[in-house]
Amino acid sequence: MSIEPITGRYVTLQLGGRPHRIYFEEAGSGRPVLCLHTAGAHSAQWRHLMNDADVTGGHRLIAFDMPWHGKSLPPEGSETEEYLLTTEAYIETVLALIDALELEAPVLAGCSMGGRIALQLAALHPERFAGFIAIEASDFQPAWYDIDWFHRPDAHGGEMGAALVSANISPHAPAAERWNTLWMFMQSGPGVFRGDLSFYTQDDSLIGRLGQIDTARTPVHIIVGAYDLTCTPEDARRTAEAIPGATLAVMDELGHFPMSEHPEGFRPFFLEALDKMR
Amino acid sequence: MLSEIERLPAQVAARPHLLRLGRLFSETVLIRVDDVEHYLVFDRGRIEAVLPGPSKKIPYRFAIATDGEAIAKFWELLPEPGFHDIFGLVKTGRAEILGDILALVKNLRFFKEVLALPRGARVTGESA
Repeated sequence: MSIEPITGRYVTLQLGGRPHRIYFEEAGSGRPVLCLHTAGAHSAQWRHLMNDADVTGGHRLIAFDMPWHGKSLPPEGSETEEYLLTTEAYIETVLALIDALELEAPVLAGCSMGGRIALQLAALHPERFAGFIAIEASDFQPAWYDIDWFHRPDAHGGEMGAALVSANISPHAPAAERWNTLWMFMQSGPGVFRGDLSFYTQDDSLIGRLGQIDTARTPVHIIVGAYDLTCTPEDARRTAEAIPGATLAVMDELGHFPMSEHPEGFRPFFLEALDKMR
Repeated sequence: MLSEIERLPAQVAARPHLLRLGRLFSETVLIRVDDVEHYLVFDRGRIEAVLPGPSKKIPYRFAIATDGEAIAKFWELLPEPGFHDIFGLVKTGRAEILGDILALVKNLRFFKEVLALPRGARVTGESA
């Protein structure tokens, strides 16, 4: 029996002119590292790194649930809204959280759509950050599925979403963590995974911005798993090559949710990434 | 007919969680490997029959068409990237999904686990 060092709290942010009650958790002390979860899931994807003393010894890891995800409830009036995330709304949320928590030049670590936003912020707001760890991240790739599958009255979108994204998990992942990772997708609220994917699979605005990323000021390190069918190593390599000075690591035995699906396999790659942010 | 597919009915019947996941699935599914056709007739999750093809007369809800080398790699204990999932086979051009793909997606966990059973059988040495 042991109590973990992770603590969770709430903060209210003004986003799009409306208050949003945001759940965040943190562990460790030192340089702040803000962690962004993937589409259709929540901050628990970071649970292992936040319990890893080799990570938290010198870093304060902070992970939050995006609005509509995990413990961050939708805003008032959501019952008649179609949830559709945008690049702009995601950026607004990240910057508002940094302001509210008074974080001084955090490292930004994001996975999948979080990695996409990390690269967007590297291009648009680099002065707010110390560096960027973009995991399973690329400039853009269109959907290889129909996002409308995941929001239907005649089927459980969460179960379908989990069954689909299992395609992105490595067979080397321990079974317990595979199923923990999939459970988060099964928990996802109606239409949320679809709403995340709508921008992720349609907004290609990052492609034209990659060249303006200045890695001499803020390093960019991209990490990708070989078993990732959504953001493949080819997608990540193409993206890294378009950012002068960006570095790339390919993980042979991991997939699209490395920090969650296979924490032991991922930790050396994450520690290496943190070193590159110095 | 592939022996791995012939063994599927008994393997499904021996797994209560698969019967529970598939309790609303009563469809016929075509698995085509190269030119060899297998029609899996599901009834509430159980595979009642595996009918050999080729046939122009057996209606099916959806089909997975692939090649022998791809399905052999798919059934390895630790498949290489791209061969670890049916959508990996599709994305790399080694398989095609035909027919009512939504019927597959609505039952995706069930169907993926059924199609991956030979993988488990090879791990445990299971013969049934």
